[in-house]
Amino acid sequence: MNTKDIIIRRIILLAIVLLAWETLPRLGVINPLFIPPLSGVITALRELAGNGEMATHAAISLQRAALGFAAGAVLGLPLGLVLGGWFPRLQTALEPLMELFAQANPLILFHVIILFLGIGEAAKTFIIGWLCLWPVTFATITGVRTADPTLLKAARSLGLGRAGLFVRVTLPAAAPSIVTGLRLAAGYAFIMLIAAEMMGASSGLGWLVIQAQESYHITRIFAGAFVITLLAITADWLLKLLGGRFLSRVESGADDYVRMQGSAGKI
Amino acid sequence: MFDKIDTIKTHLLRWSGVVVFLLLWEAAPRLGWLDAQFAPPFSTVLGAIHELAADGSLAKHLVISIWRGVTGLLVATLVAIPAGFLLGLRLPVWAAVLDPFLRVLSQVNPFSLMPVFILFFGIGETAKIVVIAWVSLWPILFYTITAVRNVDPLLLKTARSLGITTGELYLKVILPASLPVIFVGLRIGAGLVFFMIVAAEMLGANAGLGWLVHNSAMNYQTPRIYAGATFIVILGYLLNRFLLALERAFFSGEQEQVDLVPARRSSAPSWRPGWRSAAAAASVIFVFLLAGGREVYLSNLANASLGGHLGHQEEAGEANVEYTCPMHPFIVREKPDVCPLCGMRLVRKSDAAHGAGH
Repeated sequence: MNTKDIIIRRIILLAIVLLAWETLPRLGVINPLFIPPLSGVITALRELAGNGEMATHAAISLQRAALGFAAGAVLGLPLGLVLGGWFPRLQTALEPLMELFAQANPLILFHVIILFLGIGEAAKTFIIGWLCLWPVTFATITGVRTADPTLLKAARSLGLGRAGLFVRVTLPAAAPSIVTGLRLAAGYAFIMLIAAEMMGASSGLGWLVIQAQESYHITRIFAGAFVITLLAITADWLLKLLGGRFLSRVESGADDYVRMQGSAGKI
Repeated sequence: MFDKIDTIKTHLLRWSGVVVFLLLWEAAPRLGWLDAQFAPPFSTVLGAIHELAADGSLAKHLVISIWRGVTGLLVATLVAIPAGFLLGLRLPVWAAVLDPFLRVLSQVNPFSLMPVFILFFGIGETAKIVVIAWVSLWPILFYTITAVRNVDPLLLKTARSLGITTGELYLKVILPASLPVIFVGLRIGAGLVFFMIVAAEMLGANAGLGWLVHNSAMNYQTPRIYAGATFIVILGYLLNRFLLALERAFFSGEQEQVDLVPARRSSAPSWRPGWRSAAAAASVIFVFLLAGGREVYLSNLANASLGGHLGHQEEAGEANVEYTCPMHPFIVREKPDVCPLCGMRLVRKSDAAHGAGH
């Protein structure tokens, strides 16, 4: 079975799925109130895109996710490098605490954070940043820790200084793990952003979906879910592309998922 | 002897961070660095936990949450492992064809799907278990596909040349050989499950740890928020540790695996579980499922039948009667009140639902 065959089958399958989505609700096999036909969802999408609503909410959501993700990455990378590379004893002392912190999922955090920061943008950025921080930190620590000792010894015996060793050897060796951590963090950022927007916001894609649910605009729920999925996949793909510059090879498919989740086993 | 002292030292060092954090938590509100109304000192939170434990409601919420998680995980496992075997072994072409579809489905945000699940299954137990199962399905499925594909071909050839039947090949060779990797999928799935239980319980439930936190927040019982949150964090941590330990106990001997899972230090396990302990574990889970199911059923029943007892005030914390605003259904209070958004009088939740014709 060659690649071309598989692609043809994929296209046929996609066509069947889309056709079923359109016809089954229309024929009443599936209740159209629960799963509206594809054309209805497309109409809702066009309507939301036409009046600029979708673009506004998507931009707000993206901005929040990017801000939180950047905050998590900017704090998590140095934290991981410092703890993993320079202060192994401090890392041992902080490890259980960090694991416990990583367990404090944002949904419960939400109720605590709004006590301090109110219900505005700061709370959402904090929650997403918090969630992104831990995968990035753990992945960086793992990457620095598992850098090949032979490489380090060889570089040291060739007379590389401490700083040079860090920049030229440790960092590149840790890069694949760091990229994995960033991808995991981006995935989490999106999932949690939607949850945070559902719990307390007046804009954004999560709000759009919950609003549609409350007013029984079922097509809008699907339109919102579609855009959210699309954005999540695009973000993951971009990070993968970016990571491909650091990694020797870029995996795809189920194996990629397994490698990604497995290498961040702790989180 | 020195080893022992060293281990103790390492343990002390490991947990010193947590101890310092707890001390800070206790000191900061007392010294006025943090507002004690927002961040009550740790001892107050312990008091709240003790209170909850004393009237038995903590145990109830715990059992209900765990029951939901275990049931959802079980459903996901029963679907994903056979599906993974089928796709990985019998239909490799279809596995390749379906791969992008499965990946897109796994990327669909569970929160954006929640409204759809609620449409299909109502806000009862089914919707929660479906959401939980959906989330944990994907890691288990992807890991199973990868695992069964990467079984050592030498094992397969040897078994086949010894004249094994297909059924036996699956059960006696492929399943044991792929189990270590499948288990990692299960562990990741379990982590996600735990997280989704809390989310599902916040969006609509009448019991469970997620509900406890949500309800306390709605009633401004700050120590209880922290009490519930502490429990969720500790439970999640223990679950993760337990599964890691189980993984090590089961599979540390066969670490060669597929090189997908980062190798851990392979200390010899002190205890190797066999079929007998597996059967014991299975029966414990089964008994728990029955007992937990009864608890969930009773809790839902109590909640539904309370519609009849007008004026019957529950003590705070048990609070099965809820009041909601007819215009803003997300405003839920334990006592009759007015809506903070529009000033309308809150109505009993069940009455509001009947009035809307559901």
